[in-house]
Amino acid sequence: MKQKVIISISLLLLLIVIFLMGKDFFSNKNKNQNNPYEYKLDNLKHIDPKLIAYNEVKQIKPDMEDPLAIDIDHNDQFYVTGKNKVIIYNSDGNQISSFNIDSTAYAICVNNKGDILLSILDHIEIRNNEGKVKAVWEAFNKNSVITSIATTEKSVFVADAGNKIVYHYNLNGELINEIGKKDTIKGIPGFIIPSPYFDLLIGIHGKLWVVNPGRHAFENYDFEGNLISSWERTSMQIEGFSGCCNPSNIAMLSDGSFVTSEKGLERVKIHLPSGDLKSVVAGPESFVEGTKGLDLAVDSKDRIYVLDPVRKLIRIFEKK
Amino acid sequence: MKRKLAIVFLLIIISLQIYNAFAIQRFPKPEFESGHTQPPTITPDPRSNALAILDVFVLVAALSIVSWLVVKKRSRKGVFWMSIFAVLYFGFFREGCVCSVGSLQNITLALFNPEYSIPITVIAFFILPIIYTLFFGRTFCAGVCPLGTLQDIFALRPMPIKSWLEKVLGIIPFIYLGLAVLYAATSTDFVICRYDPFIGFFRLDASFMMFMIGGIFLLIGVFIARPYCRFLCPYGALLNLVSRFSKKHITITPAECIQCRLCEDSCPFGAIDKPVLLKEKEERPIAVRRFVMLSIIIPLLILVGGFTGAQFHENLASVNSKVRLANELLNNTNYGETEQEAFEITAFNAAGQSKEELYNEAASIIRQFYYGGWILGGFIGLVFGLTLVSLSVFKYREDYTPNKGTCLSCARCVDYCPVLPENKVIIQK
Repeated sequence: MKQKVIISISLLLLLIVIFLMGKDFFSNKNKNQNNPYEYKLDNLKHIDPKLIAYNEVKQIKPDMEDPLAIDIDHNDQFYVTGKNKVIIYNSDGNQISSFNIDSTAYAICVNNKGDILLSILDHIEIRNNEGKVKAVWEAFNKNSVITSIATTEKSVFVADAGNKIVYHYNLNGELINEIGKKDTIKGIPGFIIPSPYFDLLIGIHGKLWVVNPGRHAFENYDFEGNLISSWERTSMQIEGFSGCCNPSNIAMLSDGSFVTSEKGLERVKIHLPSGDLKSVVAGPESFVEGTKGLDLAVDSKDRIYVLDPVRKLIRIFEKK
Repeated sequence: MKRKLAIVFLLIIISLQIYNAFAIQRFPKPEFESGHTQPPTITPDPRSNALAILDVFVLVAALSIVSWLVVKKRSRKGVFWMSIFAVLYFGFFREGCVCSVGSLQNITLALFNPEYSIPITVIAFFILPIIYTLFFGRTFCAGVCPLGTLQDIFALRPMPIKSWLEKVLGIIPFIYLGLAVLYAATSTDFVICRYDPFIGFFRLDASFMMFMIGGIFLLIGVFIARPYCRFLCPYGALLNLVSRFSKKHITITPAECIQCRLCEDSCPFGAIDKPVLLKEKEERPIAVRRFVMLSIIIPLLILVGGFTGAQFHENLASVNSKVRLANELLNNTNYGETEQEAFEITAFNAAGQSKEELYNEAASIIRQFYYGGWILGGFIGLVFGLTLVSLSVFKYREDYTPNKGTCLSCARCVDYCPVLPENKVIIQK
């Protein structure tokens, strides 16, 4: 009797399974519309409030159609550029002057002499603070997409996302060397740049730091192009960087900590020189979803300037 | 004890898949702006040429060893350990692909679609078990097929089922075979692979539904041995036919049967044909009458089956993605989606093909299904007819013999036979 029951149940189960398989195959419901691989970031967008160490203290709306880049000089004057314009503000946030440019500038850098270096996609224009063109450095090649510029007293470093390389020029615009080209013998991994976000800076002690966004890494080079050190933090959590390529932009505080901005998970954070997370400046709730290219700058008081290209604001954050 | 150890070992391997739940991707999925869904993986990464050749050698070696163990050595223990090897190598190491069961679809597709280039290893995996079956019976099923051997290990409390039920359920693999061939021939789908219940275990990755189905098959297999092999496997159906002509099939007794009946209930698959007593032999006029009846009924069943199959050709074709797309566009139903345009329609619009071209293509596929429906239905009718024959024809038998078609050559029965080749005279005495 017991055996009969077991067999009956087993056979019934078998027929049910076969029926389910048939139903699944012949069913007309659309199986693909429920996306099992949906890119959900909701949980990752939540940030522990204890980690947020900055307050937003000021917002400035530049009189410009598409602000894209920001830089601060040694007098804490800050310069904003984007579509057809450059605006200069004093340290209090009041506009001092502005001038028009013919096209869109994607990166801006002010050197010690007060010259303004602008990336016009594939070439560099150097202007004085009245907008007069002092020099034009022609495109290195047709694929160039210049996304960041940094200067020292003798050198200009140009991050070219199109060619995935950093160019080292002298002040006359003569190419000295290329930095970051893949070289397994020298231990240089090469830049992985899937999208046009490729930032660099000259940090404290005059060190060149370059983001390797595809590796979620920061790489420190000497001016001859030797890799001195690097760190990387890949993580979906707040401690690291995620997505195809992050961080998109960087700046440096006076203690050598890195200010980073990310896309995908829109947030601005501070990482210690070792790479470990120090604190958060602003989380995803502070930005419109989908915001990319939050350019950063830091003044002498370690206030953090975030250029928000979607809300078209210069947003100033100060430590709590 | 060894069997229990083997089961524990396999359960540990299967449970390793839990780790997948904790896996974190190093990088998140790419951010497709089109909303493209990454399709679930059906096949593992292609194997290197060297490994593919090694697989064929291992297959030949395994088939040879199992055939030798079954036919010559008559060793159940040997077959059992080969089963473990098959589960580990052909199952977990090869991730179950390409398996002989699924390869019949590749063969069909290659025959009907000249654009499809079939790898030589796939041909080998299809043809070698058939050749061995032709010589030694279903030794492939016994200890080489990872799907069968996995179930075999779980056959802990096998119970016999009625022979008529066995025969009726035994029709399902032939229907499945017909469907699999039809869908492969029309380049619609590889149904066998899609609903392979154990591939998820071997790859440690499957949908919840397939894990459930695999688990249920193993659970059923505890009481009804090898349910997939007996009541679903289409390749098994093919081997069932081939094995009937096998040259050297396993025998229960190595010498003359002494009718001790010890083996009578030894087969968990109900594949032992019992002796038919002389008094049960039917009279000649009755046999002739039945022969005449069957020669009318079988063609009729083929015809009715074919006609019925052809009537359902549109339903059968509706599974084809192009036919489905054409239907959705024609009826403007957008795959039942109300909030957004269905991905398939977006992809079609982006591809630049005109609707007329698609409709013509779909019409051609439906026509293929019309002829396919006739053939499939006729085939099912034939299977019904032959099952009817096997249920009604009494074959005179003096000994307990394995049924060459349904016997899986597992060699369980030989352990029950007290007859030894070298002392058969003593036992007879």
